[in-house]
Amino acid sequence: MTSATAGWRVRVAAEARHQAVLLARDPGPMIGYLVMGLLLMIATRPLYLALAASHIGQTGPGVDQAAAGMAVMFSLFALKIAGAHLLNERTWHTWDRLRATPASFGEILIGKTLPIYAAILAQQLLLFAFAAVIFGLHPRAGWWTLAICIAAWSACILLMGAGAATLARTPAQLSAAGDIFALLTSVLGGAIVPISLLPHAMRSLAPISPGYWGLRAYHAALTATPTSLVHPLIALAGFGVLGAGIATLIGAAQSGRPSNAGLRHQGAASTSDHQ
Amino acid sequence: MLDSSVKPLIEATGLVKRFGTTIALDGFDLSVSAGEVVGLVGHNGAGKTTFARAVAGLISLDSGAVLVRGADARRDPRRVRPLLGLAPQELALYPTATARENLLMFAGLYGLRRRDAHQRIGELADALVLGDVLDRRVRTLSGGQQRRLQAATAMIHRPTVLLLDEPTVGADPVTRDALLGVIRAAAEDGAGVVYTTHYLPELDVLNASLAVADHGRIIARGDRATLLAAVAGRAVIEFDRPAADLPIPTAASGAAVRVDGSRVTISTPDPGGTLAPWLATHPDATRHLRSIEVHPPTLDDLYRDLVHS
Repeated sequence: MTSATAGWRVRVAAEARHQAVLLARDPGPMIGYLVMGLLLMIATRPLYLALAASHIGQTGPGVDQAAAGMAVMFSLFALKIAGAHLLNERTWHTWDRLRATPASFGEILIGKTLPIYAAILAQQLLLFAFAAVIFGLHPRAGWWTLAICIAAWSACILLMGAGAATLARTPAQLSAAGDIFALLTSVLGGAIVPISLLPHAMRSLAPISPGYWGLRAYHAALTATPTSLVHPLIALAGFGVLGAGIATLIGAAQSGRPSNAGLRHQGAASTSDHQ
Repeated sequence: MLDSSVKPLIEATGLVKRFGTTIALDGFDLSVSAGEVVGLVGHNGAGKTTFARAVAGLISLDSGAVLVRGADARRDPRRVRPLLGLAPQELALYPTATARENLLMFAGLYGLRRRDAHQRIGELADALVLGDVLDRRVRTLSGGQQRRLQAATAMIHRPTVLLLDEPTVGADPVTRDALLGVIRAAAEDGAGVVYTTHYLPELDVLNASLAVADHGRIIARGDRATLLAAVAGRAVIEFDRPAADLPIPTAASGAAVRVDGSRVTISTPDPGGTLAPWLATHPDATRHLRSIEVHPPTLDDLYRDLVHS
């Protein structure tokens, strides 16, 4: 009676189309993070210009630091969007419905994250395009290196967002944890204040922040040579694998217990599991 | 309805599932044949929802196995899940997407081509009275419309097995009639249906067989007529004077007779059939009749009898 089992491409495409619709229905947060990035880039560029003129903290035309810093910081805030869309599946009770379909966990995850990945890519591209058109940003290692950095950084934070979504139990938890993580990672990574100006203790902690490696990758593309991209890209891949690992392990563990167990931990009404 | 010669679509044997110290399933056995609607009833906590989740492969079992068309639901989900249509008890829809977008996504996940999906959506929209709301966002739909949409998402791929967990809870009569009609039609087309409910009269409409769950196991299973034959209905006769003043016996064949003032209650599995000859043999009493009420045994009576015993 049922139709033939569909290929994974069909299922991923169906999930991705649907996720794109959900994103389009709620564009406010993504637009907000883009506009804030543009405004802060404009606001901080004179600061970085002044620092560069004084040979403090960095060299370059100022917009390099402003554009890369804002791209890192506001993509980290956009990470919350990825997490929220995954968490919605639990608060809307649709996660079990998805799991009861022929789609595998991986297919669902890929289908859900592809449109979010596209949105984060678009955010980064628009920020750098704005910097190029208005402030004359030009990556010395070539535009293609910048494109690689954008793709790698976006993938890294997307996978970390997926991991965060499996750890968070409520939208409020995710929002608070996301804000703290985004700000800490941005500060430690040097997205707001150049690393060399940070206090010593923070400087020594910086490499544990994915933002640090994201910013190093962007700086390599903007001011250095393609070969200096290698280490930052390897580090970003490591953080991405960590996020994907958390998402997969926690997601698989949650598959064996009641769907609203997490909500029950919050004291929310539970209705059905034991019926 | 229960034909033992046909291999069941669902064979659940010895299911045990514990959540911490709570035993949700405790040796749960149930089989469902093609074209059969099984009304799975039981009080809250009896194991109905856990059973549905086990069939859908959503939980791991401590022991026992669920076979769907011979395939293990947990170990072989790739074979089982395309056969299943699940409508969980809680609404599980995307509120910011339209009804059509919800249906298209599930159609895609079950492998329906776009054109076939649109055609199927049209069929279900007609049957479930959703045609006017297909392009409205789910969060703007009424509760009844959302219930119907949820059932439609479960049936979008014409599943071989339908798992419907209280699909009419909180539903208005229009929604209920539409849902029951579609479910009956699915069973007539050969689907096996597990229908969990607290509204037992719905099982008559669905011509369902019955499975009564209690404390994680099935305590009664069979067709309704057979199970009801063991349950007493009532005939209540009201006289215009105390029944003790009338020449009526206090016993009838196979029935219990209780006299309470001017009221006589006869309890028997066939109250109508018992009452007629009883009245015929007591013409002096019938002259003083004020009213007669006949209450055949219902599924509610059966359920109460089973659970209380």
